[in-house]
Amino acid sequence: MAINKESNVYTVVFATLMVVIVGGLLAFVSSSLKPIQEDNVRNEKKQLILKAIGSEETKSITREDAGEQFKKYVVERLILDYEGNIIEGTRLTNETPVDIKSAKDAFAVDLKKEYKKFVQPLTNKYAGTDLVDELTKETNIHYPLFICEVNDKKHYVIPVMGKGLWAGVWGYIGLESDARTISGAVFDHKSETPGLGAEISKDFFSDQFIEKTIVDESGKYTPIKVVKPGTGVTQPYVDGISGGTFTSVGVDEMMNRTLAVYHKFFQREEGRQLLTNI
Amino acid sequence: MDLLKLFIKAAFVENMVFTFFFGMCSYLAVSKTVKTGVGLGAAVIFVLGVTVPVNYLLETYVLKEGALVWLGAEYAEMDLSFLSFIMFIAVIASIVQLVEMLVEKFSPALYGALGIFLPLIAVNCAILGGSLFMQERQFENIGEASVYGLGSGFGWFIAIVLIAAIREKIRYSHVPAPLRGVGMAFILTGLMGLAFLGFMGFEL
Amino acid sequence: MSEVAVKEKEPLFSKKNKKLITDPLNDTNPVTIQVLGICSALAVTVKMDAALVMSMAVLAVLIIGNVIVSLMRNMIPGKIRIIVQLVVVAALVIIVDQVLKAFVYDVSKQLSVFVGLIITNCIIMGRLEAFALANKPWASALDGLGNGIGYGVILVVVAFFKELFGSGTLLGYEIFGNATDMTGLYAMGYENNGMMLLPPSSLVLVAIYIWIQKSRNPSLQEGH
Repeated sequence: MAINKESNVYTVVFATLMVVIVGGLLAFVSSSLKPIQEDNVRNEKKQLILKAIGSEETKSITREDAGEQFKKYVVERLILDYEGNIIEGTRLTNETPVDIKSAKDAFAVDLKKEYKKFVQPLTNKYAGTDLVDELTKETNIHYPLFICEVNDKKHYVIPVMGKGLWAGVWGYIGLESDARTISGAVFDHKSETPGLGAEISKDFFSDQFIEKTIVDESGKYTPIKVVKPGTGVTQPYVDGISGGTFTSVGVDEMMNRTLAVYHKFFQREEGRQLLTNI
Repeated sequence: MDLLKLFIKAAFVENMVFTFFFGMCSYLAVSKTVKTGVGLGAAVIFVLGVTVPVNYLLETYVLKEGALVWLGAEYAEMDLSFLSFIMFIAVIASIVQLVEMLVEKFSPALYGALGIFLPLIAVNCAILGGSLFMQERQFENIGEASVYGLGSGFGWFIAIVLIAAIREKIRYSHVPAPLRGVGMAFILTGLMGLAFLGFMGFEL
Repeated sequence: MSEVAVKEKEPLFSKKNKKLITDPLNDTNPVTIQVLGICSALAVTVKMDAALVMSMAVLAVLIIGNVIVSLMRNMIPGKIRIIVQLVVVAALVIIVDQVLKAFVYDVSKQLSVFVGLIITNCIIMGRLEAFALANKPWASALDGLGNGIGYGVILVVVAFFKELFGSGTLLGYEIFGNATDMTGLYAMGYENNGMMLLPPSSLVLVAIYIWIQKSRNPSLQEGH
């Protein structure tokens, strides 16, 4: 053989060539397909938000149509901080087109980034009341809120983000016009185990949340628990996924942590105004 | 103290073999005797202990969005995370190749016993799993990442030594002929997996 | 002359080639005999549809990866062969995933869960290392086909029992009636076996499969 396959020179040349070819190929594929992929992802986000409203009308909207229909149903969008204050200049109506580059646009808030930047390091480190304190100090977390109108009835759609067993889990929670009762919920995940944790994206799981309230009779915030099937607790609860404990815990944690912020908002002047302004 | 907790959690509560069923291929194939089991287990501890921190550095300074900011402000927008799978795998494979060469040189007997399974450590899902869990958990510093890697490696080591010890003893029992060997090992692992489910509720 | 020609051109489906496909279905089954690819066999067998998607994905990657590595077999330096094989498989899987994400988004959502599991599936590496590195592309493709199917069969059989007894459904269709509404068998007091949903039960099911397989073919039995 003319070339000695086992020589170091050949090995190095081969490895370099391979890295260049594979790297180039991957970069090319990834960058040339990115616009189409992003479009798909955005439309899916719109579809999920509309689905979370929980109304029959918006449930059946397909991903392709969601891009257009989003404007019609989502009349207002805004961003909150952790204390439940509206961040200045983020209140946009449906007359402003969605601008994914703008930092003031609630639709552009990438929850995954918010979660990774601030929340995840904190949740990893603290738990329980410590966590709440630590999160309060972190003023840079953004919480988007989508105000929707279906058949002249207001709904509030809240995005939530957390972690499951393998990677992120997220969802959208729709509230009735009283901002207490859940009218619809959708969940999705990146790569939970099929048949176990992945079941959270199925309707049978998310539909359990419908008509549950996030406050008790006295008006105090009570998180909805995701428990092992069959365990009775006094709080409002839904059945977790058997065999998908880590994922269920993730859903519980993200709902609990995020809804508390929005509850604070609806207790404030601005939030109450929104509620009476039907 | 936190590091100790992390170690125990990685080794027992989130045991690679019994909780996630990772790295089963080499686990079942090399657990015939305690001796080879210890050898492979040690190799896994070593590989996990090295690859997790290395991949942590890679993730923090190269792959993560904004990770390249040390090159200059204009790189702050770069997001190479689509490369993370292939980069992690490449790091793992190089380190495994390194281990293979070292073992071959210093312990030919162990090299002969481990056979095809040494190269297969590279595809041992426990190793890649360790790096992917590291990426997901966003450890604060490289110390935590190393402890996590060592802990999961130790968990895998315990698992293979336990099953190897049982398999050595079970040789003297009357196992139905068709179940001898792999079949019985499957059932034993299943039972041990059920037992390890008991660690699931531990809060550390 | 003619004899040489025959030797050079082996028929596409010679006896030897056919054996490449049929052997992995039984005597050299990748899961039960070669003990490869167990992790994914445990992870994706809770539901039949997941098992089917995973089998298809592994089958495709196995065939294509085998052919590519076989074509490159005379170029790959021995020292870094594992890295080369892994990079080929990982790049292949990532590219396919990216393309699917852009054009058939719904399919990609199904599949992207498996990306990590496919790359680290030891069947793929095992076959690349043991077969494709030493054989011609056509034989490697057949070897990939056979092993892919052999793997799929186990996955589907295990998933069949796990889904049937764990959730009372098959491919999502309710077989025993509806558990929440207490219809069908559930009205008579039947309950789903929760243990069937957990990974340990797949181990036991695979063990039973091995038991049956080895009692029918005693030559496969292991000594003590």
